[in-house]
Amino acid sequence: MALIKLFANLRKIAGTKETSIMGASVGAVVSGLVKRYPALEASLLVRSPGGLPGNGQIRSHVIITLNGNPITDLNLVVTEEDQIAIFPPMAGG
Amino acid sequence: MVDPRIYDMFREIGRDLYTANMISSHGGNLSIRLGDRVIIKRRGAMLGNLKQHDLIETRLDKNDSGVALASTELLVHRTVYLNTPALAICHCHPRTAVAFSLSRDEIVPIDNEASYLLKKIPVITEEFASGTPQMANKVAEALTNYKIIMLRGHGSFAIGQTLDDAFFWSSTLEEACQIMLFTKQINEPFIEYRGMSDSYSKF
Amino acid sequence: MNGWNGKILEIDLTTQTHKEYPLDMEMAKQFIGGRGLGARLLWDLVGPEVDPLSPENVLIFTNGPLTATGYQTSNRFSVTTKSPLTGTVLDANSGGFWGMQFKKTGYDVLIVRGKSPKPVWIEIKDSVVAINDASELWGMRVYAITEKLGQNNNKRNVLCIGPAGENLSRIAAIMNDRERAAARGGPGAVMGSKNLKAIVVEGSTRPEVDDKERYKFLMYETKKLLAASPLTSQALPEFGTVVLMNIMNNIGALATRNHQQTQFEGAEAISGEELTEKYLVKNASCWACPIGCTRISKTEKVEGEGPEFETTWAFGAQCGVDDLPAIIEVNSLCNDLGLDTISAGSTIACAMELSEKGYLDSDLRFGRADMLAGCVEDMAYRRDLGAELADGSLRLATKYGHPELSMSTKGLEFPAYDPRGLQGQGLLYATSNRGGCHMRGNMIGLEVLGLPKLIDRFQVQGKSAFVILHQNSNAAIDSLVVCKFTNMGVADEYFARVLGAVTGIPYATGELIKVGERVWNLERLYNNREGFTPKDDSLPPRLLTEAPTDGPSKGWVSHLEPMLKEYYRTRGWDENGVPTPKKLADLGLNKLVSGG
Repeated sequence: MALIKLFANLRKIAGTKETSIMGASVGAVVSGLVKRYPALEASLLVRSPGGLPGNGQIRSHVIITLNGNPITDLNLVVTEEDQIAIFPPMAGG
Repeated sequence: MVDPRIYDMFREIGRDLYTANMISSHGGNLSIRLGDRVIIKRRGAMLGNLKQHDLIETRLDKNDSGVALASTELLVHRTVYLNTPALAICHCHPRTAVAFSLSRDEIVPIDNEASYLLKKIPVITEEFASGTPQMANKVAEALTNYKIIMLRGHGSFAIGQTLDDAFFWSSTLEEACQIMLFTKQINEPFIEYRGMSDSYSKF
Repeated sequence: MNGWNGKILEIDLTTQTHKEYPLDMEMAKQFIGGRGLGARLLWDLVGPEVDPLSPENVLIFTNGPLTATGYQTSNRFSVTTKSPLTGTVLDANSGGFWGMQFKKTGYDVLIVRGKSPKPVWIEIKDSVVAINDASELWGMRVYAITEKLGQNNNKRNVLCIGPAGENLSRIAAIMNDRERAAARGGPGAVMGSKNLKAIVVEGSTRPEVDDKERYKFLMYETKKLLAASPLTSQALPEFGTVVLMNIMNNIGALATRNHQQTQFEGAEAISGEELTEKYLVKNASCWACPIGCTRISKTEKVEGEGPEFETTWAFGAQCGVDDLPAIIEVNSLCNDLGLDTISAGSTIACAMELSEKGYLDSDLRFGRADMLAGCVEDMAYRRDLGAELADGSLRLATKYGHPELSMSTKGLEFPAYDPRGLQGQGLLYATSNRGGCHMRGNMIGLEVLGLPKLIDRFQVQGKSAFVILHQNSNAAIDSLVVCKFTNMGVADEYFARVLGAVTGIPYATGELIKVGERVWNLERLYNNREGFTPKDDSLPPRLLTEAPTDGPSKGWVSHLEPMLKEYYRTRGWDENGVPTPKKLADLGLNKLVSGG
């Protein structure tokens, strides 16, 4: 089970700061996360009738890091020691 | 040999352009600027099926790649890089946009996405299309003020910070033109849904 | 006249006289306003022989043609001078309301020269200028004097220095509208050295707009774009800039304990999430801004604006402190004393390391949240240890034999982003014209946030082109003058068109960015004239040779050298970092150097 950390308003929406999800790829883990916390769907996923992530349907500007590295490829393999962090779009100075 | 990640990026976008009918087998071009160097498709290579050796890296101001000619359009790309803020260029032949370019001096989209992102796409003309300084200068000049322009009867030139951007504008343009074509076929009165849209053609 | 007012006000404090004269419109077209115009004027007025704290230095306040038009965020202004901290050209930029009001007085530029024999404050009411005695006011802190001189956000605006500026701390800020700051590089000390306590403005002239229809359309589009961008419509208003704390920590680019580490175990405790949950009262905004990134925070002891991400980092991770209320309180204190929070926090961090290593005899240690407030007070009044810290980390570290422990470039302390986690950011710091600064062209958009697209933060080749584009673009935006957060949702092509609609002078997108390139090159020429060389385009040895031993940036150092070489070539400079004659001619700057 990979560890998922949520940040900013995603915490309030999901009602938690972190959780563990099973999944072989980043996309699968995000799918699992949205299944467990359906309220996250609107923030994380592009609204589309079919499919869940794995084919690029994460909303643009959502930031996902895998063990601290920002990634865009949802097919990346995830193992038990991995940590995934998800941030909504943001910026600063 | 070009960095594999860069090759992957070119190959994927090249493939997407081909399968989206925005380019013929051997037409179009993609390039990026890496500091004072350029990476561009080799002459005669197929965007839809790029191999590692199809990408040439050369100095921006002159060809030091050891390859005779990277592309007949290298001059255009160089001129654009030297005269605009572009860091990436996508040149393709989006067929619906090309068709519209034959009968107007600017393409003003009516769909939401392109209205939001592009507003207006100027159409410029240069008969002796490929590789002449006149054409290169005309294209570069137009791109100082727009991120995507049409060369009448020929195709689009789009610029951005990354190839992704440039492809995005190109794809949006073609989608906008396809929608415009459909509305002509549908042939019903247009219901304006965008605020202040008469200003788009003055963008 | 459209956009610009067309007038410069010059005040000579030595003779206590003032005069006004027309703005050179050819110069204005080339440099627009704000930072660009300031740099161009400074080039003429202040040469290498001038000590920044002498009467021969000048303070140039500039607004731009867009200022006070009502275009989104058209409230900002620039202060240009020679920096007492770095010796480079300096522009410090601030928001709030003062810039808007200054534009309404009918001037584009205020040049303050000389030194008043006694403390004074200046009042500008439209074209009526008064230089008033400030002997009763000297010594007052920022909040008190702001109120005393009649601050009213929309009508009468106070710009001032606090005790730090009066005591010539080289990291002193110029404050406006109570808690806004033009702080980096120590402009407050320049103002203090002139015996100038405050500048109060009241104006009634709104700028003219040339093409009103087009201008309205562009405002409408900007409104749509800012509302559609999740950054400007959600993240910034809800969490403010401190939202960055957790993400920078997560990716291993949050400088910690004077850049000894790249992750801070206490990041969560000082994060935007924590601030919003426990200490946030509400958000607020500057004039004509729909974004609202300002925080109003409250602890048991204080309530006021801020803290921003950089402040929270500088007194937080950089000092090894995870006590957010203490940070909120020291932020408020810095505002009241008139101190640059980034430099103050990072200088204290430097002192902490020097003390822990036994080079400096003090009780300061990383994690001593309880000492922060006392430190900044002492810095503003140059008391005890504060006297050592008041002039920034480089002078401090040099005095105690270890200049390499100052986390700065050209003497300006870095902000939070550790270059070992972001290659492009390192190049940015090394080459920024006012020293180690992120506002010259923040690379985190590309290297972290995926704006417009994620690029590899560890990639070295090709980075310079991105850095250069952002440096040029930011220089242009700083010359308009609008807020760079607008740029998060609104592309440069809109700014070019708004500028054209307001002034009646068309600027292509590329031409606007070229203005930025021109400004950048002029700033470079200025620094070269001051004697800066390529070895000043550097980073501290720690960032070049000491790789983090854990975290996502483990094993990485900044590979500055190849990036810098590529940077010079790509900028059209020779290998000594000097703009070539060809480049200068292309930018219209060749006459400046040939003495023509």
